[in-house]
Amino acid sequence: MTALDTIRARILGGLALLGCTVVLMALFSAYALRTIRRSETEQLDAVQRSGEVSNGVVTSVFRQINAGQQYLTAPTRELRDQFQDAADESFEFSRQLDRLPGLTLEQHLTVNRIKQLEASITADYSIAHALRDLGRDDAARVQSIAVLRPAADLTRLVRTFTAELAKHTRRAEQQLAVATARWEVYLYLALVIAVIATALAGYWTLQSVEGPLGRVVLAAERFGSGDLRPVTTGHMPRDIQVLADAMRHMGDRLRAIVANVISESDRIASSATDMSAISEQLAASSSEVSTAMVDISHGAEEQRVELITIGTSLDALRLATTQTAEAAERVARLGEEIRTVADRHQGSMAAASSVLLDVREVVQTTSKQVSELAKQVAAIDDFVDLIRRISSQTNLLALNAAIEAARAGEHGRGFAVVAEEVRQLADESARAAEDVTLTTNAIRDQVEDVTATMAAGTAKVRGIEDVAGGAARGLAEIAAAVEQVEQSATTVARAAQQYRDITERLQQQAQQVASRAVAHASSAQQVTAAAQEQGASTQEMAAAAAHLLQAAEQLRGLVKEFRV
Amino acid sequence: MQHGAQLAVDQINARGGVRGRRLVLRLADDSGSEDVAVIVAQALYDNPAVAGVVGHLTSDASIVAAQVYGGGAHPVTMVSPSASSPDLSGISPYAFRICPSDSSHGAAMAKFAWQTLVARRAGILFIGDAYGYGIRKTFAADFTRLGGTVVEADPYVPTTRSLEPYLSRMRQAGIDVLLLAADRRGAELALRQMQDLGIRPPVIGGDALAGIETAGTLAEGMWISSAYLPDRAGEKNAAFVADYMRAYSGERPDHRGASAYDVVNLFARAIAAVGPNRRAVRGYIARVGRGVPAFDGVTGGIVFDDAGDVPSKGVVIAIVRGGHLVAEPGE
Repeated sequence: MTALDTIRARILGGLALLGCTVVLMALFSAYALRTIRRSETEQLDAVQRSGEVSNGVVTSVFRQINAGQQYLTAPTRELRDQFQDAADESFEFSRQLDRLPGLTLEQHLTVNRIKQLEASITADYSIAHALRDLGRDDAARVQSIAVLRPAADLTRLVRTFTAELAKHTRRAEQQLAVATARWEVYLYLALVIAVIATALAGYWTLQSVEGPLGRVVLAAERFGSGDLRPVTTGHMPRDIQVLADAMRHMGDRLRAIVANVISESDRIASSATDMSAISEQLAASSSEVSTAMVDISHGAEEQRVELITIGTSLDALRLATTQTAEAAERVARLGEEIRTVADRHQGSMAAASSVLLDVREVVQTTSKQVSELAKQVAAIDDFVDLIRRISSQTNLLALNAAIEAARAGEHGRGFAVVAEEVRQLADESARAAEDVTLTTNAIRDQVEDVTATMAAGTAKVRGIEDVAGGAARGLAEIAAAVEQVEQSATTVARAAQQYRDITERLQQQAQQVASRAVAHASSAQQVTAAAQEQGASTQEMAAAAAHLLQAAEQLRGLVKEFRV
Repeated sequence: MQHGAQLAVDQINARGGVRGRRLVLRLADDSGSEDVAVIVAQALYDNPAVAGVVGHLTSDASIVAAQVYGGGAHPVTMVSPSASSPDLSGISPYAFRICPSDSSHGAAMAKFAWQTLVARRAGILFIGDAYGYGIRKTFAADFTRLGGTVVEADPYVPTTRSLEPYLSRMRQAGIDVLLLAADRRGAELALRQMQDLGIRPPVIGGDALAGIETAGTLAEGMWISSAYLPDRAGEKNAAFVADYMRAYSGERPDHRGASAYDVVNLFARAIAAVGPNRRAVRGYIARVGRGVPAFDGVTGGIVFDDAGDVPSKGVVIAIVRGGHLVAEPGE
């Protein structure tokens, strides 16, 4: 089929087949007509010739007889030549009878008889003429009379032969009619065959053109209905093959594109899902930051409260310090009174003893107060520790906040600054606490000194008691001791003053810390607000992701209508 | 004719046949009749074993038979040894003869009468058939052309009882030569009546009279045109005549026997060369002397022309002497 590999070639082939059929039909018709005409012509020729020859035989024989008879009555050279010519002619005609086509054996025998009769007539007349020439007229007449019978026979035979020929001709005509009828049947058969051949050729052409086209159209319809699976169009004519190839190529391209879209929409959907998850995470993070900020804020509040508590404690401390100072002043005053009393009641031992007892009592009371002071200082230590822990925690929180802010990106930038501030504040708080610790340690040292002094004072008072008997010396020693007490009290008063100053300063710092903590809290609230804002953005983002996901799903749904 | 053919077949088979197969001679008698000839020819034609036909003997039979042999799907070649009618020339591509035609005989006899016999007035007795008319026509034409006069030409038929009126008239008119374009019966009748009349002009007969030499003194001294004479020169002919006489108890072959002998040998050579296929045999025979070597037979060299005739083959005029046909010295 390579030769008929194009629609054009197939159509041409079909047309050629049709043309061939028509030409063959025409040739066959022409052949049939020619055959009929030829046999007709042959028949006519045969009839004509047999008629001519038969007539020729009879005519020439009669001419011969005529000339022969005339010669017998008047022998002339002319008549003799006439007779000779007629004889030759009749001989020729009788021989031609033999050559007529389609003679039966019977007719052959008739012809032979005619030939014999003709020859015999010629010979008889020739002999009669010879006799006439020889002057034997009677013999010549007898001889000529003998001719009459063969002449009559010949005429009869020729007539019979002609009738036979006519019969033969009629038979031939019948045969011709039969042959013509047969040719007519052949022609009809040929016509039927030609019609069938034409129909087949047409059908074949139509099939071979329509088939490939139909397959291509089917493929196109499948593409149109969204079925993009590869189509097999089978063997195609070359020109349609181009179309089929284009179709297949288009299918391949569409299939690739749709597959691409599907995978892309899958990817978008999965990205949207991821994004949704991330925004959820982000929301959770913001929420955490928010919570952390609330915690920070809460912590700052707590810090402030704690600092207020510290302030209160410091007030108490200052009160205690004031009391210490007052006690020291009282000690000084008592020392003065002692000295006055000693001065005035140097000898009065009894009075002195009672005074000593008071002194011991006062010293003991003082000692107790100092111990109390020490305890207070320890409380300060505890507070400082608390502050340190708070600032450490704040620092940690600030650090976390900074990290979260960094994670929050642009939104967290303001918060990062705040976190840094908080961290610095926490550092400062830590440093202040450190200072308080140092001061407190100094106070502790002083208190220990006072305690030791008090112990020594107590021991000395005990010694006074021990030397209860001795007055002068005792009093002098008392006076001296009072002097020392006075000095010590002054020192204590000074130390107390100093301590009070420190405490005041501490109080001021605590207030400062408190106000900072308040600021810190407000910053934390800002951070919370920012985090909440961020949370809102994240929700928007989640909503957008959901939209995206929905769009991707829709896209995927649309694309799924294509079968690939 | 049958003797000549049979002798050839026997000799060939004695030599081992053709292509290792024996040659078989099938005999069929047409009795010189056209009607019988047609039937016989059809029978031979329908026999697939027949590779070629040696025959027929007479002109009329050959003419009708040639139409049978040359038609249909399996034409078969016929080679006549003696059918001399001019009508046979070119009648069919499958018809051949190895004898000269009547026109050759007529011309040869006219020339002989004019030159050798120095005859100027000729009388003709002819049989009223194709042969008689043919010889008469060609002789008369040539003799007239040479300058002679045909005093009269008289027909007869087999039933003609007496030729005396013709002969008497010829005597009256005076003739130098009498041509007998006749069959043997008519010729003998004429000779006898001439004897009775006491007239004896030189008589020439056509080849149809072959064998009349055996009719005693009647034919003594008459001339006969023939394509073949037993005393024809050449070793080949001498051997043939000797074999023939040995085979048939001293009988001398005539031109029919010699020609039949040649035809059988010609067919044997064709079959040996191309096989027994009828068309192949025809193709070979048609090219004899024109593509394949000429056939040198006892009757002379054979070269066919397009009409199936042997124009190169001459006619000799022999004289009957002592019951034999002999070539006249100088002829």
